[in-house]
Amino acid sequence: MKNKALVGHIGINLLLILTILPFVCVLSPNISIAQPIVLGVPISRGYPDGVDAERGITLAVEEINAKGGVNVAGTMRPLKLEISDTRDLEPGVPVAEALLAVERLIIEKKANFIVGGPIRSEGALAAMDILSKHKTVSILSAGVLSPAYHKRIADNYDKYKYCFRTTGSVVPMIEGAIGTFESIKAKKGFDKAFIMVQDVAHARAAGSALKDGLEKKGWKIIGYEIYPTGTTDFSVGLSKAKDGMAQYLIPWFDMPEVSILMKQWYDMKVPALPIGYIHALQDEGTWKATDGKVAYSVVLYGKAGSVATKAIPMSEMFVSGHKKKYGLEPRSEWTSTSYTVVYILKDAIERAKSLDPDLIIPALEKTDMMGTYGRVKFDPKSHQIIENGDPKETAVGMWAQWIDGKRTIVFPDKIATRSLEMPPWMK
Amino acid sequence: MNIFIFGLVNSVILALMASGFALVYGVSRLANFAHGALYILVGFATWLFLNRLGINYIGSIFLSIVIVSIIGGAIYRFLLIRVKGMPASEIIASLSIGIAIMELFRWRGFIGEAYMLPPFVTGSVSIAGVMIDWQRLIIIGIGLAMMLSLWLFTHHTKVGLSLRAIAQDKRASMMSGIDPDRTAVIGLAMGSALAGVAAVVILPLGSITVETGYMVLTDAIAVCIIGGLGSWMGVLAGAFLLGFSQILATAFIGPHWQMVVVLLFIILTLILKPSGLLGRQKELEERV
Repeated sequence: MKNKALVGHIGINLLLILTILPFVCVLSPNISIAQPIVLGVPISRGYPDGVDAERGITLAVEEINAKGGVNVAGTMRPLKLEISDTRDLEPGVPVAEALLAVERLIIEKKANFIVGGPIRSEGALAAMDILSKHKTVSILSAGVLSPAYHKRIADNYDKYKYCFRTTGSVVPMIEGAIGTFESIKAKKGFDKAFIMVQDVAHARAAGSALKDGLEKKGWKIIGYEIYPTGTTDFSVGLSKAKDGMAQYLIPWFDMPEVSILMKQWYDMKVPALPIGYIHALQDEGTWKATDGKVAYSVVLYGKAGSVATKAIPMSEMFVSGHKKKYGLEPRSEWTSTSYTVVYILKDAIERAKSLDPDLIIPALEKTDMMGTYGRVKFDPKSHQIIENGDPKETAVGMWAQWIDGKRTIVFPDKIATRSLEMPPWMK
Repeated sequence: MNIFIFGLVNSVILALMASGFALVYGVSRLANFAHGALYILVGFATWLFLNRLGINYIGSIFLSIVIVSIIGGAIYRFLLIRVKGMPASEIIASLSIGIAIMELFRWRGFIGEAYMLPPFVTGSVSIAGVMIDWQRLIIIGIGLAMMLSLWLFTHHTKVGLSLRAIAQDKRASMMSGIDPDRTAVIGLAMGSALAGVAAVVILPLGSITVETGYMVLTDAIAVCIIGGLGSWMGVLAGAFLLGFSQILATAFIGPHWQMVVVLLFIILTLILKPSGLLGRQKELEERV
């Protein structure tokens, strides 16, 4: 008897739902027929950088959709992600793969906007012509540190006006790095450095500029060595640094094998503080994986945000959301930039009240909002994000030091959560 | 002293990486291009057993090596046996299997810095003023012991002698009752186990990445080309020549030359002695 009553109860409820549903749909056209805004994401999904960017974008899209989507001239439209693997970070994969991924997103997936990558400068530079051909607005948020990107936009604005970049260029990164080194020298008094860089364009450019810049400031550069991608032994270079009594080891590497450098540095007891662009060490799991051998290392992030700081409220919201969704803190700078890029686009669409590139471009050029790495503003001529050391004014990078198993921000001063700690052998 | 110690470490690492590849070729005349994939398979399997299943380190290593040996044997028994005797097809088939294994890991998200194996012994020791970690010293010990054991195995055990017999004269050994397919299965299983041993001793120096598989394969091929395919002493000679050359190039010319040195030696070997330093593959043709 009870079962019969239950079945009857469910049946009546179903009948009611089926009767009411068509009326709800007709009366709420905005909910049922709002076309999604398609975000094409061309990234290298088989590499940590690509995965990090994808996580940031996905998190932001889910947050925005949970709040109803993007308001386009009064209509709330959800965001839809179309992700395509460019494989551009994999060794030996031709640039054409990345270009195909971008074009596929625009033609087949009908992407309204391209965000994320391609991540390698070579792929991103080559994709500029495709974006301009299809008049598709793109905002890079992972990799691509080459100064050539925004120079090309500035030199030929009418053709490349569809391209924007939030990752920054290696030039302000180096200027910022030299300022940081000078600040450390002023506080701690050490000035002997050994530079080790990866044999890729951005690292060679950075290493050479750092060497020249620091030498001009009176630093003694004990050695400057370039290592092929995939190097698995750094003993000779580390011995030279040790013999030359270098006080700072300045690595500039984006390859995963740099973890070997850090382990060798620890095992060979080289009395120099590692401080540089050590991409693998940005990962929050590094401490556990290396059994704490990265202690005291200082790591540069092209953009802040992946470590929470009260100075940038959105970074706290982002890190907490990331931990909730993925069960871990953001791994690299590109998670932060890729999270913010979706909000930048949302802001521009809502101000433009349209998806038309001719209206979106001026709206993006007038962007002035707070992101996970400070205030976001673009240079209207080169579409390059503007940055210096104050998050209230512009975008900022950050230096994080590994202390007691955590990444703590030590530079720039405006967002630092504690001061730089020198290793015991340098005190 | 720096150069001697780190040159020795580098050479033994190369010898370890190449030993499995050389054994398989020596026994079955099969270039196993899945070698690098089997190497990282052991690394990831050990990591998974250790960190996900909570098995102790020694148990994880043992289990991974046993599994990869079975996989190695199965690769020959079920796949490569079908293209036996067609060198190009053998290479394509084994390379395809290797790529499939490696890219499977990438596809399943095995990327990032978290995949590291702990060293067997932590800490460092000073030898003649050079600080070196215990793991590298263990690599030297295990590497040299493994080479010696392999030599003893192939020269003084029945199975080892049958492996050599097949390598030397397949027809004559078949007439003596040796089954070439069974021997090849044993050879591939052993070669895979050697790749596994190399992986568990070398990988704690850095992190486990998919790219490591490709790198190990190219290093193994380079050592075997220079030293001579099918010759144990050739593998050692090739590994030491490359190992010390890389360290010397890094010390006196610049680190970015270490890759150039490898390519230079390969080109010179192929021009001057195509069979390799101690290889016997094409000796007769070379003399002619």
